[in-house]
Amino acid sequence: MSAHLTSTVLNCLADGELSPEQLAIAQQHLETCSSCTSNALGQALLKAAVSKSGHRYSAPPELADRLKQLLISDSQRGASPSRSSQGRSFQGTRGLAFAGWAVAALLLLAASIVLVQRNLPQFGQIPSERTALVVEISDMHVAALSDTAPAQVISTDRHTVKPWFQGKIPFTFNLPEQLPADAKLDGANLTYLGGQPVAHLLYSIGRHRVSVFLCPRRDRHAVNELPAEHSGFHLAGFTTGELEAVAISDVDPARLAELTATIERAQADARK
Amino acid sequence: MALLSWKRAARESAVQSSVFEDLALPLVSALYNVAFWLARNDRDAEDLVQETLLKALRGFGSFQTGTNFKAWIFRILRNTYLTSQTGLAATRTVALEDELNEHGESAPALYPEGAIDRHTPELNLIRLNDGAALHRAMEQLAPPLLEVVLLCDVEGMKYKEIAAVLEVPIGTVMSRISRARSELRNTLQNEFGMNKGTRA
Repeated sequence: MSAHLTSTVLNCLADGELSPEQLAIAQQHLETCSSCTSNALGQALLKAAVSKSGHRYSAPPELADRLKQLLISDSQRGASPSRSSQGRSFQGTRGLAFAGWAVAALLLLAASIVLVQRNLPQFGQIPSERTALVVEISDMHVAALSDTAPAQVISTDRHTVKPWFQGKIPFTFNLPEQLPADAKLDGANLTYLGGQPVAHLLYSIGRHRVSVFLCPRRDRHAVNELPAEHSGFHLAGFTTGELEAVAISDVDPARLAELTATIERAQADARK
Repeated sequence: MALLSWKRAARESAVQSSVFEDLALPLVSALYNVAFWLARNDRDAEDLVQETLLKALRGFGSFQTGTNFKAWIFRILRNTYLTSQTGLAATRTVALEDELNEHGESAPALYPEGAIDRHTPELNLIRLNDGAALHRAMEQLAPPLLEVVLLCDVEGMKYKEIAAVLEVPIGTVMSRISRARSELRNTLQNEFGMNKGTRA
C-alpha cells in the first residue's frame, strides 16, 4: 500500500473504529511509512490529552443525592392518585377502600364542576406533560422572535424550506402554495420538542410572527386538548393521519386558525 | 378493584423508578461534565442534568431494555441543551458542512500527505504538559464539534453510539471528529507559535 493514510483512517485508527481488515492494511502501511506513523502517534496523543482535559468538571457532591430525591418524589407523584398512601395495605381493609372510593368520587365531582364552570381548557388544568409541552412551544416561539436568533433556513420559498429538512427529520410534510392574505413564509428551524426532532416553520401574518411546529403524530399530546392560550399567545393545531401541528402567535385567533387550516389542507392535498 | 390497580401501578412505577435510578445515577458525573462544557457554567449545568433526568424518567417507558442507555440519556441531555436558550443561541451561530467528500474526507488536508513534523502541537503539549492550552482550544470549538469530541474522547463512545446521540449519520460523526481535531490542532499551533502540523 503506497498511498498515505487519510485523515479519516487516522481518526478511525485512534478511535479503534477500523475493521480488522482495515486495521491490517493500516498497520502494514505504518510499518513502512514514518510520516503516517508520526501522524498516527499525534492523533493518539491528542485523543489522550483531550480525554484527560475533557474530564474537567466534577458534579457537586450533593447533586447526586439531590437528584435521587427528586427522582423519587417525581416518580411518586406520577405513580398514582393514591401514591401518598403507598405502604399501607388496602387488601382486606374495607373501610379504607370505601374511603378511597369516596375521595375518588369527590375528586371526580370537583373536576366536573370546574370543567363545567370553564368551557375552555385552561393551562393550569391540563396534565403536567401537556403543560410542559405548551411551555416548551411557547419558549421556542419567544426564542424565534428574538432578532439575535435568525432562522436556520431563511426563505419565503416553500421549495427551499421543505427540502432543507431532508435528512434532518424522520418524517415529511407539505407546505401550502397559497397562503391567506397578508401571510408569508419566513423560514424554518430544526428544533426539538419532548426530545424529538420537529420542523419549526416560521410565518408572518402582517407584522405578527407565527411559529408552526410539525411533528409525527403522538397520541399522548392530542393537540385539540392543548389550551387555546398561553402567556398571552394564542394556540391552534391540527392532526392528520401521520402528523400533528401546533401553531402559536399573538395574532388574532381567527387568522391563526386560517393559517393552520391552510397548512392542514396542504397535507391532505399531498396525499391525493 | 380500581384501588388495587392503583396499587399495582404504584408498585410497577416504583420498580421502574428503581431500575432507572440504577442506570442513571452512575452517569450523573459524566452528564454533568458534558453539561458544564456545553452550558459553560455550573448553575445551567445542574439545571440541564436535572431536567435531563426528569425527562428521561418520564420517558423511561419508551426506552427499550437491552439497548444503549448511556446513548439514550445523552441524547436527551443534548436535546434538552439544544432547546435551552443557550443551546439555541449557540447552534444558530454555527454552520457546519457535514458532508464527506467523495474521498471520505471532510475537508482538504491542510498539509501534504505524509508531511513529517516531529514538533507537532500534540508532542509539544505532552512536553509542556499544558492542559490549560488544550482546555482553551476545546472551549473555542463550535458546539457541534465540541460535543462530538466530548462523546468520543471523553466519554469513550463508539461512532455508532455518537451517531445515535446526535441523531446524525456515522459519516457526519466522522466528519465532525475530523474537523474538531483539525481545529484543536490549529488552535494549539497558534498557541505554540508552530507553523507546521499533522493532518486532521
